[in-house]
Amino acid sequence: MDYRTVPTTCVYCGCGCELVLKVLDGKICGVLPGKSQDVSRGRLCIKGWTAHEFVDSEKRLKKPLIKKGNELVEASWDEALNTIASKLRSIREESGADSIAVLCSAKATNEDNYLLQKWARAVIGTNNVDHCARL
Amino acid sequence: MDALRSKVEELLKSGEIAGFLGMRLVHQHPYPHLFTLKDIDLLSTLTIGDVRYPLAKIILDIARAYRDAKLGIMVRGCDESALFELFKNFQLDPEKVVTLGVACPAEQGEKCQCPRPNPLNMIAGEKREVVADRSDLKKIEEMGENERYQYWMSQFGKCIKCYGCRNICPVCFCEVCTLEHESLIQRGEIPPEVPNFHLVRAFHMAGRCVDCGLCEETCPARIPLRTLYRKVREIVKTHFDYLPGQDSESVPPLQLLGDGSFEISEK
Amino acid sequence: MEEKRAFEPRIVAFCCNWCSYAGADLAGGMRLKYVPNILPIRVMCSGRISPHFILKAFQKGADGVLVTGCHIGDCHYMKGNYITAKRVAILRDLLGFVGINPERLKLEWIAGSEGEKFARVANEFTEQIRKLGPSPVPDIPYNA
Repeated sequence: MDYRTVPTTCVYCGCGCELVLKVLDGKICGVLPGKSQDVSRGRLCIKGWTAHEFVDSEKRLKKPLIKKGNELVEASWDEALNTIASKLRSIREESGADSIAVLCSAKATNEDNYLLQKWARAVIGTNNVDHCARL
Repeated sequence: MDALRSKVEELLKSGEIAGFLGMRLVHQHPYPHLFTLKDIDLLSTLTIGDVRYPLAKIILDIARAYRDAKLGIMVRGCDESALFELFKNFQLDPEKVVTLGVACPAEQGEKCQCPRPNPLNMIAGEKREVVADRSDLKKIEEMGENERYQYWMSQFGKCIKCYGCRNICPVCFCEVCTLEHESLIQRGEIPPEVPNFHLVRAFHMAGRCVDCGLCEETCPARIPLRTLYRKVREIVKTHFDYLPGQDSESVPPLQLLGDGSFEISEK
Repeated sequence: MEEKRAFEPRIVAFCCNWCSYAGADLAGGMRLKYVPNILPIRVMCSGRISPHFILKAFQKGADGVLVTGCHIGDCHYMKGNYITAKRVAILRDLLGFVGINPERLKLEWIAGSEGEKFARVANEFTEQIRKLGPSPVPDIPYNA
């Protein structure tokens, strides 16, 4: 029997409300609004109250999937990354670097998003960088 | 605090309880934590905490998963009132819960206006007088019918349908909630069905609300929910002479279909 | 723009299958004249009537709600009507507190043989609501 509460930050928007995840035997079983700071002060919106649900969701991918024909087929990470790299390379050769755009995500950390835009600019060679929050 | 800590240690070491639900300081802030024999050294960080979390609700999570385990819990007055209601509604087995009462820190207790600030079996802190302040209700009652209606409609109109009031309420235990029923509450509408949504919730608090005030604390739109539910408490007291959370024996009036005790006048 | 019309009360009447709906049926069978403002909704027992239904009726534009059931002691399911009485008593006071006139919600026990009572209650209640005027509860979300 192991029950603990883990304070963390909501992934959804820029407010950064505090979530207190309720974890029973290693699985998230619920959430409470965190009261230790002045940003959210123990209040959450509907997205905050349900932000924990995606962690253990059945719908999450467990393996990379590659579309072969009309079907999505399970593949290894190596195969998936090689496919992505070769396809992006050929698109860049045919249509130029600006034909590729990169969308960053609110669910990724700031550090991940920094790397993503750096990769877009330095590796791909395009300025077409945007974020899902702007959609 | 030392008395509380040593009592918890005693209960855990004797094997009477499998775990003790209290609050613990993490980065100098209090959070709920289940202390067990495995991490008994953490007991030095056990604290009452200057913020409240619905411990009664948390113990439900654990008790539902471990039905045979006996658990200890640190209770303020409001937590214990909520536990009484959960016992009476057969959500928790009173034989499986050991309560250790604590008093809220002075500043918090004075702000909170708890109707029952002193838990039974109090181990830490000093007893407090009940502060009965009806001024928020009086303000509404002094308004005329139209003015009252406009006031409540404008308050309910602020709602963003976060379900916070229901999620944090320690006596809200239904696994399927009428507020999420597709045919009764329309999806995709903000504010949700005014005044339907809020009045349904208020009605469901009849015979259950222990006036802990967590709902109003957690409402992002600052709707005066506590005022509304306090009025429901008064209504139930007037008609049935019943106040939720006072003890673990009296039968809630809306629980049984009919025991013939309610005299109905032909209106 | 909607044309202005004279106010006609819209009343929703929840009737229990065994007693009050039968009573309403009898009123029809006896060819009793009563107001056309009533919308009857049959439920198996008045105890089935959740306060959510009553509030939903107001939400959808009912000017008055009539809750009818078997007489105390005569409930087909023994004690369903006791809980109805408790619920309506609490709900009336709650409505009053938020500024909706509690007179708009009425509880009446009507037996299966009381066709004449159903007609009379329908007429009287409609008149009462007519005097109170249209319900203030909007049909549409408040800030729309």
